[in-house]
Amino acid sequence: MKNSLPVLIIGGGVAGISAALDIADAGRAVFLVENSPNLGGQVAKLDKLYPTDHCAFCPLWTDIKRLKEHHLITVHTSTEVKELRSIEGRLHAMIVKNPPAIDASRCVFCGKCERECSQKAIRPAGEHVYPPVCRVDLDVCNHCAACVTICPTAAINFQRAVETIELNIDHVVWASGFKEVDLTPLKEFGFGTHPDIMTSLEFEEWTAEAEINKGDIITKLNRSVPRNIAFIQCAGARDERMLPYCSAVCCMHAFKQAKWIKRRNPAIHCVIFYTDLRTVGRDYYEYSREEIGGSPIRLIRGRPSLIYPLPGGDGIAVKFENTETQKRDIWKFDMVVLNGNLRSSLEWTDQEKLDSPALTEEGFVNPKSDGMSRFSCGFSMEPSDVAESAVQAASVAAGVLIAKREG
Amino acid sequence: MTGPGRSNNRRTEEQATPRMLVFACKWCGLIGADGAGKKRIPLPASFRVIPVECASLVEPDAVIRALASGISGVAVLGCHLGGCRFNHANHAAMKRLELLKTLLDAVGIGGKRLLLAFGTAHEDHQYAEVINAFFEELKALPSTAPWMY
Amino acid sequence: MSKVAVLLCRCFGEVDGVIDLDALRKKTEEDVSVAFSCVVDSLCLEVDIEKPLSLIRESGAEKVVIGSCSSLGKGDAVVETLVREGIHRSRIGLVDLREGCAWIHRDDPQGATDKALNLIRMEMGALSYRHGSDDVTIRVCPEAMIVGAGPAGLSAACALSRLGFKVHLLERGSGPGGMLNLISHVYPSDEKSGDKIKKYSEIVEKNPLVSFYSKVKILSVKGFAGDFKVHISSSEGEKKLRVGAVILASGARVWLPYGLYRYGKLKHVITQMEMERQFLREPVPIKKAVFIQCVGARNKDRPYCATICCPSSLKNAARIKDENPDARVFILHRDIMTPGSVLEAYYRKALAKGVQFIRFEETNPPEILGDEHVEGVEVFDVINGRKRMLDCDLVVLSTPLVPNDDNAKLADMLGVERDRYGFFSEIYPLHPLETRMDGVFICGSARWPVSSDQAIMQGEGAAVKAAALLGKDAVSALSLSRVPGEKFGHASVNAEACTGCGNCAAVCPFEACRLQKMGGRSVSRVNKMRCKACGNCVSVCPNGAIQLPEHDYRAVGAMIKKAFAEETIS
Repeated sequence: MKNSLPVLIIGGGVAGISAALDIADAGRAVFLVENSPNLGGQVAKLDKLYPTDHCAFCPLWTDIKRLKEHHLITVHTSTEVKELRSIEGRLHAMIVKNPPAIDASRCVFCGKCERECSQKAIRPAGEHVYPPVCRVDLDVCNHCAACVTICPTAAINFQRAVETIELNIDHVVWASGFKEVDLTPLKEFGFGTHPDIMTSLEFEEWTAEAEINKGDIITKLNRSVPRNIAFIQCAGARDERMLPYCSAVCCMHAFKQAKWIKRRNPAIHCVIFYTDLRTVGRDYYEYSREEIGGSPIRLIRGRPSLIYPLPGGDGIAVKFENTETQKRDIWKFDMVVLNGNLRSSLEWTDQEKLDSPALTEEGFVNPKSDGMSRFSCGFSMEPSDVAESAVQAASVAAGVLIAKREG
Repeated sequence: MTGPGRSNNRRTEEQATPRMLVFACKWCGLIGADGAGKKRIPLPASFRVIPVECASLVEPDAVIRALASGISGVAVLGCHLGGCRFNHANHAAMKRLELLKTLLDAVGIGGKRLLLAFGTAHEDHQYAEVINAFFEELKALPSTAPWMY
Repeated sequence: MSKVAVLLCRCFGEVDGVIDLDALRKKTEEDVSVAFSCVVDSLCLEVDIEKPLSLIRESGAEKVVIGSCSSLGKGDAVVETLVREGIHRSRIGLVDLREGCAWIHRDDPQGATDKALNLIRMEMGALSYRHGSDDVTIRVCPEAMIVGAGPAGLSAACALSRLGFKVHLLERGSGPGGMLNLISHVYPSDEKSGDKIKKYSEIVEKNPLVSFYSKVKILSVKGFAGDFKVHISSSEGEKKLRVGAVILASGARVWLPYGLYRYGKLKHVITQMEMERQFLREPVPIKKAVFIQCVGARNKDRPYCATICCPSSLKNAARIKDENPDARVFILHRDIMTPGSVLEAYYRKALAKGVQFIRFEETNPPEILGDEHVEGVEVFDVINGRKRMLDCDLVVLSTPLVPNDDNAKLADMLGVERDRYGFFSEIYPLHPLETRMDGVFICGSARWPVSSDQAIMQGEGAAVKAAALLGKDAVSALSLSRVPGEKFGHASVNAEACTGCGNCAAVCPFEACRLQKMGGRSVSRVNKMRCKACGNCVSVCPNGAIQLPEHDYRAVGAMIKKAFAEETIS
């Protein structure tokens, strides 16, 4: 019976998880596939979220646990959707699972493999991955299989077959989130010319409490404490050369990062170079106005024309015009954070294989096109933050449930 | 049997390894404790953890019982203010326990024996820092042995 | 006396490499209340837990203490295995011997072993006073009540009825549509607002599952998720409704800028809503118009961005240009708020039509000039660094949406919280449509100012959340948890000891405690459907009359006693 076929949700981030739970709570079966080994998507990797200023892991963890324990949801990580076809009015999907060497269901996280490995190829999966598991970095591994022998639960197997699963489904929900676009072609940003010119996601990881620097704000160049940090908004976005649209989340993201810098080290000066400060959303404007650490975040309206490393390792120059005073200047910064270069992870590929939906010119799922593209939520539909993605996911769930009911 | 005038040996022994009781909320608190465990960060063995559903479950009564039974200090680890999954239950808990600190000061037990860490010990290294720092503080305080009679 | 089985997990050397598990086993076996104590390689693998399970069955032990890895490792999974075996959760004690002991005390094996024994004794002591909470199951009434028939409410009603649920759609006005009745076209599709909601209002009219009530006053709401008893008055008289879920979609109202920009004092200085009304009537050729953004918004009185004002001005400015391509239209702004792909394209479209944009600063707002009617606007153009005099015959002020006046009363009736501006609050950003009251959902501008598209999406989202509850025949109080799995328990009142002081009722974050008259005195009563077991009530009760059976004060007392009890371990 058509109505009893599962729904395929592509993407295990905030949007995908929310949609899966909403559909399954209403009694329908869900298949959720995620191409990375971890659930939680980009948001789980963030140090903090706005506007709560709390860690990204905790709120997601509850939902991830519910997702995994739900009797109507089947989760496949390290899995890609290879094909999606409409055959005689039915949707047919082929998903390919590339299981990691260490089986998470058998791993007890004892750490024997990590200690045994001579190449240091084995490490814990990540600070906040639940349940905790170790991962093998295949690039470093020399295939000695010492870990296989030492593992007390026989959780390690390098010969795991790639699994191909064929599914008959009745609906697809695209929730594949965003990825970064390489900013190297836009030479004015100087991306790649200095270790301390980095994208906001790199900066997030570099300064995360759970990562190597334990939340300390230091430069990559010589691990010293920076005196000032520049945030460049709309890097790559609202730009006809690259992404014509606004990535929606970056203004708030910059405020969040700048405020956390001020919390951890009030002496660091933060400057945000912006075009429009988009603080649309519950409590966002007030969040952006909150002063921390005794000195405000400096806001300069202007898109820098050139960012370049100064000779002798003496910092980074940012050349800009303050459009509100019409003054041009060059300021020196110790770190520069570029914000804006986010696009949907979906790419336009061969229509024949139908493994990606119809996309708008700007790369988002076009809901007005065929049945397979009808349901999408999160960044794959439209640049959105956590709250908006959750709403879109719930709305998509409603659409799917109604479509199932009405046949 | 015990009381004032006991040998100084007990005093030194106890100050060397003060006894600590930690009430850790199952969310932020225990995640930090777990993280420290996974990283195998070495900590002194003279503390015991009681997991609680929420920091608001820690009765002031329990804190006083613990201190009265000779435990040198009590730590309460809860979630960030604004991050409690029980709708700000931790706010009420913090206010209550802050008042208790004042009371402990007023009766001479010392508010320093009650540590409140809301949202500051949810990462492994932060948990270790909080526990170690509290141990140092407790070492500097006089022995609680005279209270046990 | 119920006996305890003690299972000690080596975790393949990770625990017994530091802790002397054998000594622990011997020590615990000496205890008369212990049925047996055993050391195993692991407890999380099926093959390894079989033997301990059969030992438990044979020995008749009713309680189990597990010394293993932490609950965040595999500990929880082990507990679940035992629960599936039929042992009640309140009879299982989990002791963290790995992350919480062996792994952090590697340099002090004696200290770690002493600690491990203490921890096991603590858990055994706690188990003697730990009980399971009573549960209560109620039948779910499979009907929903939606407060407000604007775009959010209509879309929620439409979605719920199409999912097969009966809906009571309440509207305080005389008909559906809400604020969309007052505007001409919606953004970004630029379709007529009537067309936008036609699809929803038709379904609502024709679907027999939807009952529409107009001129509604909500008189009272009692109850909890699955069973709300509502008393309303409407154009058809008074009625009592029984519903399983409530969706708040009561919208917001437009703030009127009296006192700003000579509004109300000068002709042709109007609000965006009045502009819409003009468009609804008939096209009026406008030659020179100036829109001013952030009027009474993003200031210290209302420090928020109201989402819809920038796109609305873009919509209306573009329309003026469409109807009269020679018109001079300016939008004076402090940031153009069009985040995302669709809205940014909408912005570019207005730019392409020739709408002009001038940025001003909050501290230096534009000035309205004119004697009987507006003649011009003087503004300091920040980007060009000079004052500009704009001739115009119409000034449109973009003002924010503010909460409805009856939000406070509705919040009180439903037990929902409001934020500092007065809009209804959700529990947290990952669950933006759910409130602290199970079964009550919020959507649309009642929650936070949003566009009609967003309101429609939120309405559908709220419907889906409600449908999850309404689709159940019955719901148990323990299942309404804020944490994965079941609730920790329910607060329970010893009615004899209760003095009726009301501390618990005052402090409960979920309004689950209430004082009730019982034979001449006041006694606290816990609504199990609302209680989340946070424990605030327990902490403020003056004599311990209210307790959580899973975490009784005697259990805590036992744990404190045994925490550092000295026992010699050979």
